[in-house]
Amino acid sequence: MQKNWQVGIAAFILMLSAVFGVGATQLPADTGYAGIGSAFMPAVVALFLLLVGALLMWQACTGGFRNFTDGVVDLVADHRGALWVTAGILVSAALMTKLGFVVAATTLFVCVARGFGSKTWLRDAITGAVLVLPVFWLFTLVLDVNLPHLFNDWF
Amino acid sequence: MMETWTLLLGGFGTALQPMNLMWAFIGCLLGTAIGVLPGIGPALTVAMLLPVTAKVDPAGALIMLCGVYYGAAYGGSTTSILMNTPGESSSIMTALEGNTMAKYGRAGPALATSAIGSFIAGTIGVVLLTLFAPLVADLALKFGPAEFFSLMVLAFVTVSSVLGASMLRGMVSLALGLAIGLVGMDSIAGIPRYTAGVPELIDGIEFVLVAVGLFAVGEALYSVLYDPKGDATERNKMSSIWMTKDDWKRSWPAWLRGTAIGFPFGSIPAGGAEIPTFLSYSTERKLSKFPKEFSGEGGKGAIEGVAGPEAANNATAAGALVPLLTLGIPTSATAAILIAAFQNYNIQPGPLLFQTSGPLVWGLIASLYVGNVMLLVLNLPLVGMWARLLTIPKPQLYAGILVFASIGVYGMRQSAFDLVLMYVIGVIGVIMRRFDFPVAPVIVGMILGPMAEKQLRNALAIAQGDWLIFFKQPIACTFMVITIAVMFVPIILRKRGVRLAEDD
Repeated sequence: MQKNWQVGIAAFILMLSAVFGVGATQLPADTGYAGIGSAFMPAVVALFLLLVGALLMWQACTGGFRNFTDGVVDLVADHRGALWVTAGILVSAALMTKLGFVVAATTLFVCVARGFGSKTWLRDAITGAVLVLPVFWLFTLVLDVNLPHLFNDWF
Repeated sequence: MMETWTLLLGGFGTALQPMNLMWAFIGCLLGTAIGVLPGIGPALTVAMLLPVTAKVDPAGALIMLCGVYYGAAYGGSTTSILMNTPGESSSIMTALEGNTMAKYGRAGPALATSAIGSFIAGTIGVVLLTLFAPLVADLALKFGPAEFFSLMVLAFVTVSSVLGASMLRGMVSLALGLAIGLVGMDSIAGIPRYTAGVPELIDGIEFVLVAVGLFAVGEALYSVLYDPKGDATERNKMSSIWMTKDDWKRSWPAWLRGTAIGFPFGSIPAGGAEIPTFLSYSTERKLSKFPKEFSGEGGKGAIEGVAGPEAANNATAAGALVPLLTLGIPTSATAAILIAAFQNYNIQPGPLLFQTSGPLVWGLIASLYVGNVMLLVLNLPLVGMWARLLTIPKPQLYAGILVFASIGVYGMRQSAFDLVLMYVIGVIGVIMRRFDFPVAPVIVGMILGPMAEKQLRNALAIAQGDWLIFFKQPIACTFMVITIAVMFVPIILRKRGVRLAEDD
C-alpha cells in the first residue's frame, strides 16, 4: 500500500515535470536583451522537477522514502469523516451564490463538525450562524467587501 | 544629532496630544481586529480603512493609519499561531512554529513572544529610523535587479533549513512551489503561462489561498482522516499561558537578530517582508541549541522560531518607512497605500518631505513609538483569551477554522472556483503530510520564484545578457560570496566531523 502510493507520488512529480517541460517549449522563444525569455524559468523548473521526481522514484522503488520524522506509521483512515468535510466545503462553494453567504457558511460549519463526530446538529447550526453573522456584517457593512447576500433575494 | 532629538521631541508633542493618542489607539485596535481575520493582510486592512480617515486632520489620519499598519501585522500573527491560517506571506514562518507550539498547549508563550518581539523590534526599528533614515536611504538606492537577484539566491539556499527531515522531499516541495508560482501572467513579457485556458488562473494563484489550503484545510482533512477524536497525548493540553524564564532567555537573542535582519531589508526598495522572515527563521534554526524542537524535526515547536521571524516582520515594517518617507518609494503593498494616504492630503513623500512637512513627519515618527507601546498594552492582556480559544472541542474548533478559511479565500476575489482550488490544495496537503513532505517550502517557492525570475531577467536585460553581472557589482558579489559560504561551509565542517541536523 505504502509503496504504491510512493511510486504514484513520484510518478505525479515526473508527470508534472513533463507537463511543464512541454509547456516551456510552447512559450514564445523571444528573449530580448536579457538573453532569456518567458520559457527560461519554466524550463529550469521542469528540469528541477525531473531531477527530484527521478530521485523520489528511485527511493520509492528501493525500499521507500527515507528519513521519516516519526518513522513509517500505518494509519487507519476514517473516510466517512473526510467525506463530511469534503461535502461541507464543496457544497458551500456551490451554494454560496445560490443560498446566500450565511446559509452556505453555516452548512459548512455543521458538516465539518459532523465529520469530526459531533452529533448535535441543531446546536452546531446555531453556533455556526452566530459565528458567521458578525463576520458577515463586519465584511459587508464596515469593510465593503462584496459577499453574496445574507440570504438569497427570495428571502 | 541634537537637532534630530529636538525635532523628535517636538514630534512627541504632536503625538501625545489627547486626540492623536486616541487616533493611534483606534488605529491599533481596528488594525488588530481586522488583521485577525484570515486572508486579510495589512495591505488590505490599510486600504479598507483609508476612507475612514478622510474626516480626520492629516496628522491624526496618518497616525491612525500607521497604527492600523502595525496592528494588522500583529493581528495576522495571532491567526497564524492559533489557526494555522497565515493572512500574509510574512506570517508563514510564524505559523510554522507558532501553530505547532499552540497544538502542544503553548499558544500563550507563542503569542506573548510574538507580541513582545514585535514591540521590541518595532521600537528599535523606529529608533534606527529616527537616527539613520537619510543614510539608509542613500544605501538603499544602490540596490538594482542584480543585487536583488543575488539576495534571492541567498534566500533560496538558506531555505534548506525549512526542508524538514528529508532533503529530497523538501526539494520536491520547493519544486512544487516554484511550479505553482509559474502559473499566471509572466511579469516581464505579460504572457500567460500554464493557465490551461482558465481565466481565473491568469492572475496567478494567490499564495494566501495555497497557504490556507495547505496549512488549514490540509490539516483539518488530515486530522479528520487519521485522528478525528484527538489523540490522547499532550497535544492541545494547555500548559502555562505566560512565558517561562527559559522562554525569555531563548526569545531575547532571537528578537534582536530578527530586528537586525528585518530593518535593512525593509529599507531596500522592493524588499518586502518575506525574505527577512525566511532568513530569520533559518538563522534561528541553525543557531538554536534545541534543533529537535523545531516542527520540521517533528518537535513541539521552538519559541525562537516564532520570536525571530515576528521581530523581523515588525522591523521590516519600520524599515519600510525609511524609503517611504525619505525617497517616496513604497517597498511593500502596504507602504504604497500609505503613500496614497499621504497624497490624499497633498503631501508628497520624498527628499523634501522633512523640510516641507517636518512637524507632521516627526509627529508620525513619535506616534510610532506610542503605537508600539499601545499595541503591547492592548495585546498582552488578550493573550490568555486568544489561547483559551483552542480549548473549544475539536469538531467546533475545526468547523470554525474552516469557516474562517473559506471566508478569507472567498472574500479575496468572490470566486467559488477559489474555494474548490483551496480544497484541492488541501487534499494535496494531506498527501504531503501523510508522506512527510514539508509544506512550508511550497509557499517559499511560490513567493520567491516569481520574484527571482523577474529580478534575474531585469538584471540580465540591463547587463545585455552578461551572466557575470552578479559578480561584477560589489553588493551583488558580496551576497554571492555569502551564498557560496553558506553552501560550502557545512560541507567543510562535515568533513571535519561536525554532524549537521539536515544530513540526508
